[in-house]
Amino acid sequence: MFNIATDHAIGLYAGLLALPLALIAIRLRPARRLVPGTVLGASVLMAMSGAIHLGLITTHRDEPITALLFLLNGVAYILLSLAFTWRWWRSASASLLAATLLGYLVYIAAGFDSPDQVAVATKLLELTALGLVLVPVRGELGRRMWRWASLAVALPLLTLVTGSTVWIVDLARPADAQHAHAGALLQATNEVVTPEQEAAAAQLYAETKAAILPYQDSRKAFADGYRPGGPSNMPSSHWMNQAYVDAGYVMDPHRPQGLVYANTKHGPVLLGAMFQMKRIGQFGPDPGGPLTAWHQHENICFTPFGFEFSLMTPFANCPLGSIDISAPPMLHVWIVDNPKGGPFAVDIDEGVVKSIDRL
Amino acid sequence: MMQSMLWAIAGLSAIPFALAGEVFMLGLGLASLLLALATCLLAIGVLWRRSRARRWVFALEITCFVGSLLLLLVPIGANHGPVSLMTNLALPIAVVLLLRKPREAYS
Repeated sequence: MFNIATDHAIGLYAGLLALPLALIAIRLRPARRLVPGTVLGASVLMAMSGAIHLGLITTHRDEPITALLFLLNGVAYILLSLAFTWRWWRSASASLLAATLLGYLVYIAAGFDSPDQVAVATKLLELTALGLVLVPVRGELGRRMWRWASLAVALPLLTLVTGSTVWIVDLARPADAQHAHAGALLQATNEVVTPEQEAAAAQLYAETKAAILPYQDSRKAFADGYRPGGPSNMPSSHWMNQAYVDAGYVMDPHRPQGLVYANTKHGPVLLGAMFQMKRIGQFGPDPGGPLTAWHQHENICFTPFGFEFSLMTPFANCPLGSIDISAPPMLHVWIVDNPKGGPFAVDIDEGVVKSIDRL
Repeated sequence: MMQSMLWAIAGLSAIPFALAGEVFMLGLGLASLLLALATCLLAIGVLWRRSRARRWVFALEITCFVGSLLLLLVPIGANHGPVSLMTNLALPIAVVLLLRKPREAYS
């Protein structure tokens, strides 16, 4: 959802190119003085959306139905962007925009495509254009109430449905295996683990487990500079050692940047260690191949209030008081049994943490 | 109006995390929903040509723009994709440009 699919990039360039051309085309038409700014704004946005659709035809030639739909949609948008003085312009534009938006949602829900930045940007353009088309203009008689109702109810609802559908589809069916975990990018590795990689992973696990076992006593961890972060009412907490983070030790079993503790009624129970790289985008060594793939949390909304996180919306917004950040790559080593994902999984199985709490 | 809807979605997006135990996210989600409501009311004020609403919108959009620009410039890994640029930079600029009307038009 936050990537640009290679076969969609051309659409973005076409849309950007269309912006100045649409502005010039409108400037050259004397009829522009007869219509309000909202109509002109919608025309420009529809021209951009049309250009994006037409641009995508070139990379979808092997999908005839999709290419035909892009062609029809693109041509219709361009024609309507030019015909803003036409009597039926508003109803035709609103119908086309709504049909395109809903059609796309059905398309991705059915699994024919995965949402990416070009698609979401186009949907934003179309939603904005639809809003501008629906704004009643001065002196217009009749249908004003209907327009206001559409603007106040239908447009917010359509925006909500669009955002929710894109988000659900992306979480349920990530565009690639590297984004299989929500909010995290997995390191690219070979697919099938080799015996050497298996042995290296086992060695890393054994060394790390032996090195962090003394930290089963959380007081020792505190004495050695580890400090808990995040809310204590969560099932588990990361305890970070800022000195080790700053020093930039790379996958040193004796100096892991973080420790993960389960927050149980008996106090913190050690679950594992966390290695962290110093810079965003700099993945660490990967001795175990796919077994020890690092992950980088991306597009997460972080708030200093309680050190809590949420995920950025498809429209690239975070809740008020939180900011969009990415964290440098990290690798967990779980020293407790983690049946769902194994000893190097991105997350610990919630059931494991609950069972520890029940002990 | 558009910005109000985007903030409303951001506010709603915090609720599942609040339900999972992140209590502060509940507060941030509600604050975002209140901001969305306030932005919607400002939009209505602008339509009614209230100069105070226009001033508030200017202040809000400039704050959003400056804040988003800072986030993009600071190396914290903020999203630089086209959607982020559209909603966080282009939209506030567009609103400010569209509201650059003669002062006399507002009461």
